[in-house]
Amino acid sequence: MNRVSRKAVGLWLLESLVAFVLFLVASLVVARWVGGSGWSWVPGWFADAPWSLPVATVVLTLPFLLTEPFVRYAVHRWELSGDVVYARSGYLTREWVFVPVSRIQTVDKGQGWFERLLGLATLEIRTASHAGSSTIKGLDFRVAAGLAEQLARRAEELRDDAT
Amino acid sequence: MTDPGQGPAEPTPPSWVPPDGDPRPGPPPVPRPGGDPQPVPGPPPPPGQPPFRAPRRFSPKVLLIDPVRMLPSLLVPLIGVLFVGGFSPRSYAWAAAGVVGTVLVAVIRWATFTYEIVGDRLETKRSLISRSIRTIPLERIRGVDISTPPMHRLLGLAVMKIDTGASGGKEEAKFDGVTLAEAERLKPILLRRAGRQEVPEAAAAPAEAQEQSIIAVPRRWLLYGPLSGAYLLTPFAFAGGAVGLAFQWGGDLGLGQDAALSAGEWLWGHPYLLLAAALLLVLAMPVTGGLMYAVFNWNFQLKRRDGYLVAERGLINRRSVSLESRRVRGYDIVDGLAERWAGVVRVWAIVTGLGDSETRGQLLPDVPRAVAYQVTADAIGPFRADLRPHPRVARKRRLFRAIFPWLMTALVALAGAWVSGLTLWWVLLVLALVLAALGIPLGLDRYASLGHGYDGARLSMRSGSLRRTQAVFERRAVVGWRMRQTWFQRRAGVLTLIAGVGAGTGGYAAVDVSKAQAAAFPAEVTPEWLSPFADEPPKS
Repeated sequence: MNRVSRKAVGLWLLESLVAFVLFLVASLVVARWVGGSGWSWVPGWFADAPWSLPVATVVLTLPFLLTEPFVRYAVHRWELSGDVVYARSGYLTREWVFVPVSRIQTVDKGQGWFERLLGLATLEIRTASHAGSSTIKGLDFRVAAGLAEQLARRAEELRDDAT
Repeated sequence: MTDPGQGPAEPTPPSWVPPDGDPRPGPPPVPRPGGDPQPVPGPPPPPGQPPFRAPRRFSPKVLLIDPVRMLPSLLVPLIGVLFVGGFSPRSYAWAAAGVVGTVLVAVIRWATFTYEIVGDRLETKRSLISRSIRTIPLERIRGVDISTPPMHRLLGLAVMKIDTGASGGKEEAKFDGVTLAEAERLKPILLRRAGRQEVPEAAAAPAEAQEQSIIAVPRRWLLYGPLSGAYLLTPFAFAGGAVGLAFQWGGDLGLGQDAALSAGEWLWGHPYLLLAAALLLVLAMPVTGGLMYAVFNWNFQLKRRDGYLVAERGLINRRSVSLESRRVRGYDIVDGLAERWAGVVRVWAIVTGLGDSETRGQLLPDVPRAVAYQVTADAIGPFRADLRPHPRVARKRRLFRAIFPWLMTALVALAGAWVSGLTLWWVLLVLALVLAALGIPLGLDRYASLGHGYDGARLSMRSGSLRRTQAVFERRAVVGWRMRQTWFQRRAGVLTLIAGVGAGTGGYAAVDVSKAQAAAFPAEVTPEWLSPFADEPPKS
């Protein structure tokens, strides 16, 4: 079983940071807008302390955003063995995917902004069914390129057009 | 006549298109195994007609249909013009211009669109100023769907839909307005190439060309229609449509908002009238629903023809859907609550690359369960194993999910009633409690529905209660496995096992199986895939 690249923790932390900023800004905007509006349906305690909304947001989301990268790094695994690609992923919801190489239709590797920054890549393994397709995130770019190459070549050899 | 050199310069193999004067080339020609495409030996072309490569247009009779179809949308503005402008020559001129415009558009649409079978491709061309050509390789064509709406039927025309298996509706050709004879002629040409490409031996068997009826659904089974719950909302749709039309026309005819408001007030003042109307609509539900069902499923026939499963149905719009047997991977057996009580089921085919399979893939309307099993076994293949039940924890989870949300709603309603004392909260409380109580049988039934099985050739997975679905599909259709476990499922020690299938909805799930089952089932169905990962998913 191979773990994903260690740098993936950095990637997930960056993504958490973006999510955190978005949540914070959104809650600040809502708090300011609703708190200062003086609408009648706003409960008194909230109108008095509109800052409670951003605080609640931070308190509720921060533990999740902080633990997610590390939990994911501990959970995510991939392996190519016996012409079957196996991938495990997830945070609160776990997923295991088994895709036999003979049924693979396309293998893509992609890089987002952050992934380019960190030298990572995402491998997308597609079959005729979305449920039988797999996405492996957070691979080292060279590992992803090698795996994609290997899978594509092997899939060509094993092509089995039963679907 | 077989010399390709006679055709235009392009060195394509001879076209399958027979001469124009012969729309029905006798029996569908049987392709030679392994050989090059041979032209159909038909009578020689009448003089003055090009022998091959004649781009064809739709039947000119379609020109009668288009304007008539556009008429209703023209009618309202026309009436408006006539009323507002009075019956002056000017308004007549406007009306005439509208009609002429419609006809003109139809003529241009008809004249600029041509289609042609060139070698092993179907080419459609629309050229007015710019030109767009679409090429569909014949081997891509997975099904041809011929239907005859009423007006088409009067004129002997048909609508042909050519399914290319690409996802999305765009990649599908629609021939709206070919003659019925032309449709019948094109169908074997378009379909045969697909079948021939990969199984020449099978296609060469002469017996295959024959048509063989699998089932003709008797008329009295149409009585099961209302149970299906399909089209039940038609009375409301009609009522809504009528109100909408009244508003639109009312506006055009100069009846303003005041009239509408006063009508509303008058109705509000007679609540019994409203109630009676609503009651009438509700009572009409099963009747109109059943009628619609009968109209759509009239004389339902399932046949086998030349490597295809053909389903024909419909009273007014007779519809014929051809599914290539080679691409059928299994079937969905569906029954709702009322249908289960009556012991009837509906069946859909699971087909690779069939767009819009919900309406197209229907193999059987409501028929008794035993008949459905027999027909599916005959047409596609039987499933000969019992479904294995899921662990008892799954029952607890079903019950929890069916009851808990309503209990929470009840609690909130109780709190609301406590604080404000409004009647509304009490109503909500009672409603939520009733629904929570109903959740008990629902949850139990949802658990009873759960099951998965494998008989050595086909897998089956069943779930659902209000609409229970049992999918049966071939082992070779499985392209991968996926297991999911939410946080709650991890607590309960169960997970969801999804078989990825390159057909139908793409994946079929066995919900809440035990860990042992989730490990054993894929290993049993596809032992060669799972052996390297014998200890996955990890025992927690």
